[in-house]
Amino acid sequence: MEPHPGWLMTRRGFLGAAAASGAIAGAGCARRSLAADPPGKSAVAILRASSYREDLADRLARGAALCGLEARGKRVLLKPNLVEFDRNSVIHTQAEVLAAAVTLFERLGASEITIGEGPGHRRDAWFLAEEAGYRAAIPDFDARFVDLNRDEVSRVAPFAGNEGIYLARTALAADLVVSIARMKTHHWAGATLSMKNLFGVVPGALYGWPKNHLHQVGIPDCVAGLYRTFPRSFAIVDGIVGMEGNGPIQGRARPCGVLVMGSDLAAVDATCCRIMGIDPEKIEYLRLASRQGRVREASIEQRGELIPQVRTSFELIPEFRHVRLV
Amino acid sequence: MEPCVESRLAKLEASQNPDGGWGYFPGRPSWLEPTAYALLALSERRGPAYERGWRLLRSWQIPCGAWRPCAAVDQPHWSTSLALTLHSVAGVRDAAFQRGFDWLLTSAGAEGRMAARIAHWLCPSIVEFDPGLAGWPWEAGASSWVEPTAHALMALRCAARRTKDPAWTGRMAMSERMLLDRRCRDGGWNYGNRRVLGADLPSYPETTALALMALDGHAAVAWGAALDGVERTWRDTRSPLAQAWLSSCLLMYRGERPRRAQTDERAENDMLVTAIEGIPWNHILAG
Repeated sequence: MEPHPGWLMTRRGFLGAAAASGAIAGAGCARRSLAADPPGKSAVAILRASSYREDLADRLARGAALCGLEARGKRVLLKPNLVEFDRNSVIHTQAEVLAAAVTLFERLGASEITIGEGPGHRRDAWFLAEEAGYRAAIPDFDARFVDLNRDEVSRVAPFAGNEGIYLARTALAADLVVSIARMKTHHWAGATLSMKNLFGVVPGALYGWPKNHLHQVGIPDCVAGLYRTFPRSFAIVDGIVGMEGNGPIQGRARPCGVLVMGSDLAAVDATCCRIMGIDPEKIEYLRLASRQGRVREASIEQRGELIPQVRTSFELIPEFRHVRLV
Repeated sequence: MEPCVESRLAKLEASQNPDGGWGYFPGRPSWLEPTAYALLALSERRGPAYERGWRLLRSWQIPCGAWRPCAAVDQPHWSTSLALTLHSVAGVRDAAFQRGFDWLLTSAGAEGRMAARIAHWLCPSIVEFDPGLAGWPWEAGASSWVEPTAHALMALRCAARRTKDPAWTGRMAMSERMLLDRRCRDGGWNYGNRRVLGADLPSYPETTALALMALDGHAAVAWGAALDGVERTWRDTRSPLAQAWLSSCLLMYRGERPRRAQTDERAENDMLVTAIEGIPWNHILAG
């Protein structure tokens, strides 16, 4: 594999025009420093779960209580990660976790629970949901599901230093967007967790498959921009089995045995990075998000398990070995 | 007309929005993409539904010559290619058509720009492709991808039957080479990256069918094996959208569209699937 020169990866404008995938734009090699943390602390719950056969609804309920999550009367959008599906891999959010989240928000008294995703590579979102086991695991899935790629759209401006972007209206109209991601490494961004998972609210009907617009603008800026766009959000990261190496599509399964939850997506993702053995302060989108969220360990109140008790070093591709937590 | 095609067209007529367009799902706001496919499906029947849809589609052209994707968004959209194919099928070659083609011909993927080519030369294995072969992007300023390139190529091919323009011929040849360059090792196509960071990526059924339709019998493709593969994948896949494109590809090259043994309620309510399965691709692309 060719070296991945750091200087090249910092020149977003240069590489923004570069790749056929456009996806190399803005990856890794951050140069900006972490912003001062906002006052206070963000609570992040870490719960052990060694398999998908456990009572995950109970685990999630414990996590929600540890984070003080309120959902009564809210219109909730559950946003799993279904960028692609491969039955021999762990690309997607596990069906059992999504089903447990539906149960959790029913118990919390949400007035409406919608499941929405706009897959990044394949067009047939319903087919992917069926293959991933969502339709079988969630009895009323068809009534709940919205293909966010083909949803109505509304403009949000400014966005990521640009004039604006159109986003799926279902996501913008929700009282609470719950990002349910799998814990994975990412070959352009270092790690993909609850914040990066928000790429699925960008409509493919406008921006295509893949959503090259986001790569051209810059992955870190767009991840941070989406984080700012959805301040009413909650994260559930499925780390029962994660993905290491050449993620988010072609990596290997990495059992980690945790669920990570919290209302501050930046704090949740920073915690996940620490669990994975990644320095979150070297992940560019987390640096950008640190103006609104909390990334420093001292600003995050860890509840449930402690990071050292669950740390599982995820293998990183050579291009991202510099983000290894030391 | 086959009974299943008849049922598709009846479904389309029943699902037309009051503004004359079609949404991605019945009762949802109109978008250009399902509207253009629906009109292509109804193009041999014409009638009031077609006329209402045609009027809406014509009203969505924007001053740059491209078409907008929906009423809520006022920017050029890749599905301009579909609108142009429809114009060719309808035999309308007026000023609006010409402005649309002028826009299409000036649109190209960003990978051909100097900065992009230098970046690719420095790190050729990040994404392996030939940056000298420009196709079409999903939106202005982005890179070329398989699906918008396939649709643009089909639009040019339909138009070129009546008009021989050297600029079109050159662009068509280059985009054919671009598609062939992006072909995956397994013989099909995905969204447009065959190899990233040293790893081969797999193809997808729907993009494979579209690329084969756009390549129109190109000599570089072993068509017997390719179409046998399309037929096998059609039998194996459970994606109604993939089946719709695969069956369209078989209709184009073998003159017959295989039919699903059972109806799928979800597919019935997906206007893209309904419309694509109602389009006489063998007549449209074969002239």
